[in-house]
Amino acid sequence: MNMDLGDKIKKYFNEAELYFSHGLLAEALEKYKAVEGLVKSTRSIRNRDGILKKLKRKIEETDQKIKKIDRIQPTAQVNEDARSLMKEMYTFDDPEAKGSAALGGAVALAKFGQYDKAIEELNRLLEYDKLRLEAAKNILWCWVQQNYGEYAVSLYQKWRKQKFFPPEEAESLQAYFNELMDKSGLEQEIDELESQRTIEPDSEVEDDEILDISAVKLILPRGSRKGEKVELEISFQSGKYIQMIILRKEKELLESISPGDLLKNMIFYSPVAIFYGEGFVSNKHTIDAGPKKGDFILEIKIIKIVS
Amino acid sequence: MAVINLKNRQIECKIVFYGPGRSGKTTNLEYIHKAFKKQVTGKMISIDTEGDRTLFFDFLPIGLGKIKGCDVKVQLYTVPGQVKYKATRQLVLKGVDGVVFVADSLAVRREKNMISLKDLHENLQKMGLNIRKLPLVLQYNKRDLEDKGLPVMPLKKMEHELNRQLKVPSFPASALSGNGVGNTLTAILKLTLQSLQNEFKWAQ
Repeated sequence: MNMDLGDKIKKYFNEAELYFSHGLLAEALEKYKAVEGLVKSTRSIRNRDGILKKLKRKIEETDQKIKKIDRIQPTAQVNEDARSLMKEMYTFDDPEAKGSAALGGAVALAKFGQYDKAIEELNRLLEYDKLRLEAAKNILWCWVQQNYGEYAVSLYQKWRKQKFFPPEEAESLQAYFNELMDKSGLEQEIDELESQRTIEPDSEVEDDEILDISAVKLILPRGSRKGEKVELEISFQSGKYIQMIILRKEKELLESISPGDLLKNMIFYSPVAIFYGEGFVSNKHTIDAGPKKGDFILEIKIIKIVS
Repeated sequence: MAVINLKNRQIECKIVFYGPGRSGKTTNLEYIHKAFKKQVTGKMISIDTEGDRTLFFDFLPIGLGKIKGCDVKVQLYTVPGQVKYKATRQLVLKGVDGVVFVADSLAVRREKNMISLKDLHENLQKMGLNIRKLPLVLQYNKRDLEDKGLPVMPLKKMEHELNRQLKVPSFPASALSGNGVGNTLTAILKLTLQSLQNEFKWAQ
């Protein structure tokens, strides 16, 4: 084998390994491919097939790692320390805070993509007259950012039907919401959606008609695991409302189901029977205390039993 | 923007470590956390994900004690370097008083340094800040990798490409071992406090 070529292969491979160990994956991939090209260009190399096999594995591993990182969304759940910090960072001078540290903090959470927590806090602020309008605007913004335009529309309609805001505020909210929907490119017409599903659909079943359920199987409606069937154990049931605990580390699962999702083709397992139906994700929130602190509770309302 | 309370003689300012992905911003903060224990006033908050990439930011609070009768507290932040997190970088930059630009000395990262510096310039501009007027220090990190056989850019070339126009203090560094980290930090603190002094005359 040509000595220069051997040295070159060794040098490039060493570089690729170092780039990989420093997290410079694109650079590592390029070098591994360069090494592969060099090895393929000669037949005089010892254990050529073994080396090519090893390189192929390296290339695949690096490529997969790059794809995995590309898939990560900057909306991952963060711990309480980080959330507090995010809030603090914007409470001192955020013009959107309009004098309220709480609102500024919630808005900051939303901007960092912590939508669930932001909505939870903003919902609390709806009770305060001075903050209500800004809180409502930001709630709608959070839903639209998550591509839940339809849910945002139905929420807006609910507020409108309930006359939740005094006329001046309602007008301001409408102008804001129209602009938000325009900018987001969502085509739903706010007025045409009156007949569509409301915030929480009424259930066709009575509480006492539903057996004790031990587990459910559902199809994830969105996110990276969209379309995947998952089985979840029930941790608590109150009539047609069932609750499941999802571990905080199950990030992809958590991102694949959210309040407002309508779940068709669900399978409910009870100790005595299996039945099919539909459900509505009515809540998802973090557990704030106890041994499961930091994990999530997902609540589903059973709205229909098919068989 | 710094929070200055002249009545209580307290100053709180914000320094952001900026730069391309994987250039060593978090490693800088980790080293400061470890090596400047006396100055560290709280815990380091780091939010990273797959591949140790910073997803949001890192945070480290340090206290410099009394300077000219004022209690000086500094918050150190890093930004996520990956291009796709531009919005987060803008959020973290909000209220910045000084910037350390951590450039990667590896030859293969040459273009990424330039893109990131341009990104910093644009983000500051959006906030009404001028990169030439803001306290700024450049750090040429990963100098140690030359010993491992990786092609590293000569300092002169990096100076020419990144600092020709800015003409700000610059330091070679190896954040993993801590070489140059202290110098960089001292320089940005000095520049930032000088700038705040010129603006608010707090030391008088």
